[in-house]
This record gives sequence, C-alpha cells and structure tokens, in this order.
Amino acid sequence: MHPLFRKILAGSIALVLAGTSTASGQVGLLSNAPTVALTATKNATLTVTPNVATATLGSITDNSTANNFTPVSITTAWNLTAGSSVRLIGWFATPAQALANGADLIPSSKVEGRVGAAAYAPFSSAAVGGVGVASGSLQLFSQAVAAGSYLGSRTDQLDLRLNLTGTTTVAGDYTGTLNLQAVVQ
Amino acid sequence: MQYCNFGNILLALGVLLTLGARELSGQAQIISLAATAPGALSVTVTSGAVQTIPAVVDNALNDFPTPVVIQTSWSVHPGQTNTVNLIAYFTLPAQAMVGGTTQIPSSRILGRMTTGLPVAYTAITQNALGGVGSAGGSLRLFSVNIGGANKNANRTDNLDLRLNLVGFPALPAGAYAGVLNLRAVTQ
Repeated sequence: MHPLFRKILAGSIALVLAGTSTASGQVGLLSNAPTVALTATKNATLTVTPNVATATLGSITDNSTANNFTPVSITTAWNLTAGSSVRLIGWFATPAQALANGADLIPSSKVEGRVGAAAYAPFSSAAVGGVGVASGSLQLFSQAVAAGSYLGSRTDQLDLRLNLTGTTTVAGDYTGTLNLQAVVQ
Repeated sequence: MQYCNFGNILLALGVLLTLGARELSGQAQIISLAATAPGALSVTVTSGAVQTIPAVVDNALNDFPTPVVIQTSWSVHPGQTNTVNLIAYFTLPAQAMVGGTTQIPSSRILGRMTTGLPVAYTAITQNALGGVGSAGGSLRLFSVNIGGANKNANRTDNLDLRLNLVGFPALPAGAYAGVLNLRAVTQ
C-alpha cells in the first residue's frame, strides 16, 4: 500500500474513532443536582365533640337527687407533641346561676356530673390549667399521655343531674349552659 | 541519434519524476485533528427551593403553596444526543418525608409540570431514567427532543408539589421534612 494512502486511511480511522468516542460521551450526560427542601407541619390539636347540643330533664323533683338529664356522649381527640395529661373540664361561667328561671337560680354546686363509673360530683371546683372558673368547674377526666399516645381519642358518657336535696325550686323552666373544654398539662 | 537523445531525455525525466514523487511522498504528513466540545447540562432552581406547608390537614390534598421554578440549560451535539430529560426523585422513596418515627412515602408526594410530561398531579413513583433517580421514587418532568435548532437552549418550568393524605393514617403532630432531588440527563 502506498505510504500516502496508508496515512490517509489511518487518519480517517482516527477521526472516526474520535467521533465515536464523543458520541458515547454525550449520551448520559448528567447535570448538577439541586435540591428542594420540603417541610410540612402538622399542628397539635385538641378537640371536644359532644354528640348533642342539649341535655334535658323533663320534670324536676325537689329535695331529691333523682333529677337526671339525658346523657351526653363526648369524644375528646388529641394530637400532641408534648404534655403528660389530657384533662376534660366542665364549667359554668357564673357558678351562682348555673341554671336560671328568671330570678330563680340553681347554683353550680347543685349540678353534678360524672364520667363512667365515677361518683357524681358538683361543679364547684376551681379551674384547671386556666380552664373553667373558680367554684364552678369539674374535671371530668384526666388521661395520661406520653410519646406513644400523643395521638389518640376517647369517648365518654357524661351523666348530669341536679342534686336538690334540701332544696325546693319554683315551678318553671330552668336553663343553663355547661361549657366543656379540654386542656393539656 | 536524435532518437537516442530523445530517449535519454525521457529517461532522465522519468528518473527525476520518480525521485520527485518519492520526495513528495516522504514529506507528506497527516495530522488527525479531533477537538471535542464537552456537552453542558445544568439545572437551576430559580425560586421555590424551600417549600413549606404550615398546617397539614389529614385525609386531604395539601398543596405546597408556591411552585418550584426550574431553569434547565444545555449545550449538546444534536447528532449524539436524542433527548434532554429532567428527573425529580427522592433518594429513599419509603421515606420521602419524615417526622419522628412517621414516614411519608414518595407515593404521597405528587408533582405536576404543566409545561412538561406530568401535566396532572402524578405520584413520584416512577423508576430511574438513564441512571438518574431511584426505583419507585422518581418522576420524569420533561423530555426534549434535540435537533439543530435547540442544541444550545434553555427552558424554565414550574413544578407544583402536593402532599396527598387522602386515606393516609392521621399524622402525628409535628414537623415533617424531606429533600426532593432534581437532575437532568441526556439520552
């Protein structure tokens, strides 16, 4: 083979090979890799949901504890990041007039409540954790919580009654508002 | 005699041409030139590099509030590159976002690029492409065919992100964090 032709052929092969190398280099070319930081926050929650808005007592019996209101089912749900207990408090804004019939009043000390198998107790305790009013409150339950139970719920039946032992009421309709609120401590 | 002289002249000319040819052949040198302009490919997040949902709602679609604006630039050889592709992916698909002991998988993170391939919200659950991404934790955002007209080009796209908690167990309260990776690759 003529030397000149041989060199031309060699050069051509070299160019072809160089081109092939470049092609394989551009397939699979990678960019830099920026990132996007994602953050989502689930806020702590604490809710109290009664199944009814009204509890009624059809007929008051004076001088008796046999004055039961229709029961109320209460669901308390929590989703927490801290705390050691969830407490449910029932309270009357004005303890001296928990229920009223015009000027005739029934104080909160005559209204009793209980949850589950607990004994009835009057709404005459102090506020708990800033929830409630002095002498008009009742802690209905205290549920211990920890890291493993920061997400949970419970449903309780709240029984309410008037304790009119030693009390005579004036005939009429008595109405009042019981407030329910949970607090984490 | 004249013929003899003419023959000598031809002979001498032939020798000279032969010698000249050899000399020409000996001086010819061929230098093969090969210069490769390396391809260039870059991805830049021009805004939205930090995405925050301040108050996640359980059992609902939670949109990240602002799009991720992504600029992709390339300079490639059209004869050697068919496509430019942009991939979004989570390194660990089972733990796309993590808060405490709770993990949110990439199947719950949806992406949408109305100027790209997933024009509707799509879970980030595809496989890697061209070695970019993770199995079951990737999403191809766009694929551009390369020709002479766009061998040197760039484009800007908005990536919308969503957290899909429909049917997902209630999240414990707290902060959840994750990192979405972006990378382009040629094919």
